[in-house]
Amino acid sequence: MQSNHSIVIIGGGIQGLSIAFNLARLGVRDVRVLDAGYFQGGASGRNGTLIRGGFGSPEWTGFFAHSNRLWAELSATLGENVMFTPRGYLVIAQKAETLARLDGMRDLHREHGLQSDLLAVRRIKELEPAIDEHAVLGAIYLKGGGAAPHHAAMKGYLAASRRLGARIDYQRPVTAVERSGDRITTVIAGDERIACEKVVIAGGAYSPAIGKLVGAEIPGFPIRIEAMALEPVRPVIRSAIALPDRLCYMHQTARGEIVGGAEVPEKPQVTLNTDICALAATAAAYAEVFPALGALRILRHWAGMLHATADWGPLLGQHPDVGNLWVSAGWSYGFAGAPAAGDLLARAIVTGEVDSRMAPFAVDRFRRNQPVVEGAIVLAPVD
Amino acid sequence: MRAAGPGCVINWNGEPLQVSAGESVAAALFRAGHLQLAATRKRHRPLGLSGSFIQGVLGDVDGIPNARLDQVTVRDGMHVARQNTWPSSHFDLLKLLRLVPARLVRGGFEHTRLMPSGTRRYLVWERLLAFLAGEGTLSPVPAAPAVVAGRRIDCDLLVIGGGPEGIGTANAAAHAGRDVVLVTRGSAPARFARLMGITETALDSRVTLLTAHEACAIYRQGHLVLAAPGDGGPAVAIGSNEIVLATGKHSLPPLVRGNTLPGVMDAATALALAAGGAACLGRVVVVGTETREAIAARLHSLGAAVAEIRAVAELKAIKGWNRVTGAVFEHAVPCQTVVHAGPWRSDPNLSFQASGDGLLRLSADALPAHVRMVGSAAAPDERIHWPGKHALDADVCPCMDVSAREIADLLRAGVTHVEEIKRQTSAGMGPCQGFPCWELMAAVIENAAGAPLADRPSHRGPRRAITVAQAAGLSGLVDPLK
Repeated sequence: MQSNHSIVIIGGGIQGLSIAFNLARLGVRDVRVLDAGYFQGGASGRNGTLIRGGFGSPEWTGFFAHSNRLWAELSATLGENVMFTPRGYLVIAQKAETLARLDGMRDLHREHGLQSDLLAVRRIKELEPAIDEHAVLGAIYLKGGGAAPHHAAMKGYLAASRRLGARIDYQRPVTAVERSGDRITTVIAGDERIACEKVVIAGGAYSPAIGKLVGAEIPGFPIRIEAMALEPVRPVIRSAIALPDRLCYMHQTARGEIVGGAEVPEKPQVTLNTDICALAATAAAYAEVFPALGALRILRHWAGMLHATADWGPLLGQHPDVGNLWVSAGWSYGFAGAPAAGDLLARAIVTGEVDSRMAPFAVDRFRRNQPVVEGAIVLAPVD
Repeated sequence: MRAAGPGCVINWNGEPLQVSAGESVAAALFRAGHLQLAATRKRHRPLGLSGSFIQGVLGDVDGIPNARLDQVTVRDGMHVARQNTWPSSHFDLLKLLRLVPARLVRGGFEHTRLMPSGTRRYLVWERLLAFLAGEGTLSPVPAAPAVVAGRRIDCDLLVIGGGPEGIGTANAAAHAGRDVVLVTRGSAPARFARLMGITETALDSRVTLLTAHEACAIYRQGHLVLAAPGDGGPAVAIGSNEIVLATGKHSLPPLVRGNTLPGVMDAATALALAAGGAACLGRVVVVGTETREAIAARLHSLGAAVAEIRAVAELKAIKGWNRVTGAVFEHAVPCQTVVHAGPWRSDPNLSFQASGDGLLRLSADALPAHVRMVGSAAAPDERIHWPGKHALDADVCPCMDVSAREIADLLRAGVTHVEEIKRQTSAGMGPCQGFPCWELMAAVIENAAGAPLADRPSHRGPRRAITVAQAAGLSGLVDPLK
């Protein structure tokens, strides 16, 4: 079976779909998306769904502030309800040095047009009556941050991309590619040969392996992250919440479940199985900061895999070695970043111009020894 | 034979109520004629004690939501209330949501096209959804300890399941000098066997026994088990060289309209109620597979008024609005209770967790060599009868109001992957954790495809029990992987 598509995207998670949608909007309608798993089966359907614009570095903040703005209007953009809820995002300090770090971020956030405030404990308690005021020292409050349920966002991107002409298949793994010199000419998926002009890797945790398959080095490695949901109760936690000192994040969904997770420093695991350590660490973080949650039961606990890079930042842009290969990988905040990644990468692919907000995340930055240092993310250090 | 002990007075939905002591709240309320304990989450249809669906026994006990009314023993002066009600559990207007046509609330609560995000009306709508969907009310002021220190047990053999098979396995190993732990959900081992009048073999005193503990999860390829008591006591991390799953079989509710009405229950639940006085069951219809005669005979000997015994394949519907009023075969048979005794199937949750593997999705694999299933758990499952078009009105997952028709419609629309069906309907994402919902869901898919389906969505631990406080108490008991 032979077909022609101008662009093949490997990976149908929120990154791949966002790129497909944005390419179609720029007029590239014969996009083909291939995914080895089932719809929403990867990290796009397993993450904590939190969205914020403000981080500790100008690079991350510039990029994610753009993405947060796109989230706010995404339902209108897609013509589908992505159910983004700008409930506010609290990054809460429990240690003095964390509070000092947050204090320095407010001006950076405001420079990027975000509503960002440093809250004293009294104000945090007003916003979140369930919080133990003795367990926290202060917080950065990002008013436009929030969350969006993954099934709504994913369904929205899928439906909108298909409407604009993209062809998207799940359970259709790419098995090989054919190259001519430094260019990929054909993508092979089982019995189908797809001649194409450009290829995008958006394969989540599997991106380094897909890189190997196409003969392009993609730095980093897969790593397991775990999350859990509590049995539903009526609204008791209002904001999206990050607890950097506990490597924990959480929010209460529109159907009452409290969803979140805490990371445990461990040897990176390549598995979708969970472990007792993350369960205990998440529960301990909840119990410390929101003691009322101690009475609630855990509904389920799951793992997802993401693609860790040396600085936890994404790899976004053209591949340095393969002429017609583009990459959107290495994501740890990929759900929040997807609207901006799709927007900026699609523009770069079509026009060749690299936006200054995505330039710092270039695929070859580690070769050039220019990692992006970001200190306000909730991720455990790995070796 | 009435439950022993004097009666006590509890507060039910704001009113004092005299109940018999010594039983679970759910059983005591059933005996007092209060069958509806809870409601489905979207359409607020009545649910009660069934032995199948946990949603039916979720209630507010002394201000703590989502308490398991089938696990909490009645205490004088305790406050029990139906949750997810408004304005009060005594006078509940949310019951009217039942009149909303099922097709309007398909999918999760969030699958709405009416109020797009990015608008002001979405925020109001979301707040309303969160209120409607959120079940019980948790006070922001803690009503219970935030952390309950856990404990760690290491043993040579862990037996999960306290039936005769589990007891036999544990006793043999203890006799051979092995260090054995047995975990059972029941308040004592061999509960079902005793209810059936089978004389139990006593558990060897050298076996460490954990009663009223749910084995919630299995980690690290079957080397680490998490168990927790239903009363909120310390959770236990159990390291074991070998694990035996003696978890038995469970009767699945029939796939017909009315299968989740209060008054429909599995054989074990009916026997336990009958043992404390069978009058509360009223006229009983027993449906099931081969075991139905034995279960009916036992119910009869406990004093139950068994009106009809039929093969489950003959059942067309269960009648009733707030509770069971009849079972429909070729003619309707008036009754107050429908007891199902089959089809009997194993809960695959723990064996899945011990064997689950795969990078794109977890799938059940062969059990590792040190984990084995014994007794009826290891026997083949009985087939779920498909009663033709009557099945489409059946509930598959009552928590989320997922009917067989909703799943059949998704299949027709081309959504055929079990994981996608799970995500689109939320079936099996409530406290039962997929059992029995995914078994019923598989029956719908099998009927549409005309072929047996071994595939289920991946079972995720911890199933059925552990609280945040219990889980928090496990910190430091297990070393992270290095």
